[in-house]
Amino acid sequence: MITKEYAFHAPRTVEEAFGFLERYGDDAKVLAGGMSLVPMMTLGLVQPEAIISLNHLLNLDYIREDAGSICIGAMTRHHAVVSDPAIRRHCPLLAEAARYIGDVQVQHRGTIGGSLAHADPAADYPPVMLVLGAQFRLQSKKGERVVKAADFFQGLLQTALEPGELLTEIRIPKPAHKAGTAYLRLHRVEGNFAIVNAAALIENDFKGARLGLAGIGPKAILLDVSEHVAKGLTEAALRGIAADVSAASSEAFRDLNGGADYKRAMARVYAQRAVQTAAAHMQ
Amino acid sequence: MKVPVRVTVNGRKHELLADTRMVLVDLLREELKLTGTHIGCGTGSCGACTVILNGQTVKSCCILAADVDEQSITTIEGLSTGAHELHPIQEAFVANQGLQCGYCTPGMVLSALQLLTDNPNPTEDEIRHGISGNLCRCTGYVLIIKSILEAVKAMQAKRAA
Repeated sequence: MITKEYAFHAPRTVEEAFGFLERYGDDAKVLAGGMSLVPMMTLGLVQPEAIISLNHLLNLDYIREDAGSICIGAMTRHHAVVSDPAIRRHCPLLAEAARYIGDVQVQHRGTIGGSLAHADPAADYPPVMLVLGAQFRLQSKKGERVVKAADFFQGLLQTALEPGELLTEIRIPKPAHKAGTAYLRLHRVEGNFAIVNAAALIENDFKGARLGLAGIGPKAILLDVSEHVAKGLTEAALRGIAADVSAASSEAFRDLNGGADYKRAMARVYAQRAVQTAAAHMQ
Repeated sequence: MKVPVRVTVNGRKHELLADTRMVLVDLLREELKLTGTHIGCGTGSCGACTVILNGQTVKSCCILAADVDEQSITTIEGLSTGAHELHPIQEAFVANQGLQCGYCTPGMVLSALQLLTDNPNPTEDEIRHGISGNLCRCTGYVLIIKSILEAVKAMQAKRAA
């Protein structure tokens, strides 16, 4: 049970939320789905002075499409991301990754914004966001700014969010070129966090290829592997990709899932498999 | 610190005062004496605390009681009107021995209900995925899956009738 007392606020508008954020500063935690935060509070790992719940905001749960992008409100539940027709049509990689998050119950309550702001090093969304070139809208009382996914994930559970800021929208550009994509993850138990995961995108003419990887360090990373696949997915191409993954894995750390060498080895395997599966998904 | 929580549970409206530290499963068990919802891990992994919130299954140990103000909840108690008037899914579990100790069962039944509401004719793989948020330490899941497959038939028959 949660033992430390705290105030609870449920703003109805983002402006109200900014007011609470300003009032409490670092002493408050923002509550979205609560699938990470509430267990952490129950375990005593997080003991805020105040909780600012976003669950009663009227307008951050949406998925919209415009000419150039898919726009997802930060309070959109994972379940909606998995099943939305516009997402499945334009960025199926995102729906594919979201399907692995937790389980049915977690997907009903957990949110895309909450997950991204929490930035678990093995989470399913970040590698996909990196590969798709997503942009995040960060708003505060002072105004708003747009941060690219590549600049958003900064460290272990650390993002570009400044005090007083909320992530309110995720924009995913509709792909400029036809491409095959794939998301693969290594886990011992379905529903648990991945040990390593890999998101891959290969453009149909093999001119561009990107890989997003998580589990090999404090944050997800993006690799451009275009030069390796330019002549197709040869053995040499796959070896080149594996070498790039090794070079990018210097910050892999030991945890309950295994040692750093194990994670690096698995990252190489899953990177190659993701790229091969993405190629197979080309239409 | 206490906050007002106006919540509808199994069709009945309640006006409660809850400590901000209280999680939903404790509100249901302690304040409303609805003890069919169980606490297993308390941290969102086992699913014994599964309830239906605004039509969707969630883990009530991971939701703050304060956060369900003006929401609507169905617990396992809401599925049957009495011991001899069980929901078809509950009947299927009884007929096919889909439980041993029964601790995971309320959550398992609600997850089955969610699954069959979303997908009235699931494959076995879809059943496994649909109950992956509910852990059982007794049965090895085989008879749970069989119970749900039988429930599919019972619910199809009910709809046809």
